[in-house]
Amino acid sequence: MSGRHPIEHLYVEHHGWLRGWLRQRLNNSADAADLAQDTFIRVLLARTSGTLQEPRRYLATIARGLVIDMYRRRSLEQAYLEALKLRPEIHAPSAEDRALIFDSLLAIDRMLDGLGTRTRQIFLAVQLDGLSYEKTAERVGVSVSTVRKHLANALMHCLLLDEA
Amino acid sequence: MKRILAQAVDWYVRLHESTVSEATRNEWRTWLTADPQHAEAWKRIEQLQQRLGQAPAVAATTLEQARQQRRAALKMFAMLLGVGVVGWQGYEVSPWRADYTTRVGQRRHLTLADGSRLVLDTDTRVDVHFDERQRLIVLRQGEILVETAKDARPLSVHSAQGTVRALGTRFVVRQGDGVTRVTVEAHAVEVRPRLATAHSVRAEAGQTLSFAADSVGPLLPAATQASAWTRGMLVVIDWRLQDVLAELSRYRHGYLGCAPEVADLRLSGTFLLDDSEAVLANLEDSLPVQVRRLTRYWVRVEGRAT
Repeated sequence: MSGRHPIEHLYVEHHGWLRGWLRQRLNNSADAADLAQDTFIRVLLARTSGTLQEPRRYLATIARGLVIDMYRRRSLEQAYLEALKLRPEIHAPSAEDRALIFDSLLAIDRMLDGLGTRTRQIFLAVQLDGLSYEKTAERVGVSVSTVRKHLANALMHCLLLDEA
Repeated sequence: MKRILAQAVDWYVRLHESTVSEATRNEWRTWLTADPQHAEAWKRIEQLQQRLGQAPAVAATTLEQARQQRRAALKMFAMLLGVGVVGWQGYEVSPWRADYTTRVGQRRHLTLADGSRLVLDTDTRVDVHFDERQRLIVLRQGEILVETAKDARPLSVHSAQGTVRALGTRFVVRQGDGVTRVTVEAHAVEVRPRLATAHSVRAEAGQTLSFAADSVGPLLPAATQASAWTRGMLVVIDWRLQDVLAELSRYRHGYLGCAPEVADLRLSGTFLLDDSEAVLANLEDSLPVQVRRLTRYWVRVEGRAT
């Protein structure tokens, strides 16, 4: 039998530690187990070659990103289902559609990271709720020209993200 | 480009007013046609709008609620995880720019505006640009099957290596690593490498070829079932085990590979792409191998210990 795959080595050496590290922070061993597993998937998908200088630090960095993503997704899922309850006229989507909807929400949510509260509020009112500038100005409590300015900033922000 | 994007944004904001005069519209049209870069920038705005259009009716409320809920939790997590608020950003590149995408293991059947059929294989990204003069499909990643509808406008697929022009036809294009592979199932296509546009090659039904940006490989007879994946199947005849596993691994997360001593074992058969676990179980029956699983996402086929 040839030598171990580097990932195998990484897994054997550090999986237990990572699980513990996550469990300590999440206070939930099922989540910790899932996220530890997901972290190794990321490492596999990244196809990192060679040996890592500081494997635990590397794993922890990836795990942190996944924890953040998990909370992001959960908060969106929960908020979405609550929003649906308030709008009985909207048919609840099938499980498959729901997955696509969450993906779409998650992507928009990420895209809006880094926008100020007001800019974000104005962008959502105009672009997702379809309000006019006047109605938006009323809702947010600013002038119409402020709405235009924030909308332009938000659009520019999104377009430039595309470029990165 | 940033300056032009800013102009496009400015136009969008002006055209989005409750009332827009015909004069403003005309001015915008003049701007739009004045420079191809203007049109390009405008297209980016349209793509952004398209993506936002996919959000559900309650999206705005949902996003605001989720954010508020998170804001409270955020400080705590930031502390626990040892990251700043900035940590919320940029952990994953989302497949944003593409019009249509599939995730690993997913397939998607689409009918385009002209009636053409487009099937996306696992982990694929395409952009679709249709205008008055042409029908253009940009394959950014993965594999697609195109079945063209009758239309006066030419249809072509752009890959990183060049262009495949449809000549009334059904064909499969795969974006590989530095190479594009085309398999024609009906009629013909014309292939033009990006850096050698004078060297176009015509491939007929039943033929396959690979091309790089500057050269075209030989025309070969196509595997009989190049588009079997559109029906969720992989059909192989006398393939190396290593190649079969490489193909299957495109449809699942994680590592799926084999030890060198079994890589060259040959096999034939029809496999269900959506159930690669069953395929793996089957391998142990038909070949002198054993499947070793470290986790669900790390699987290696090895020689059977005797």
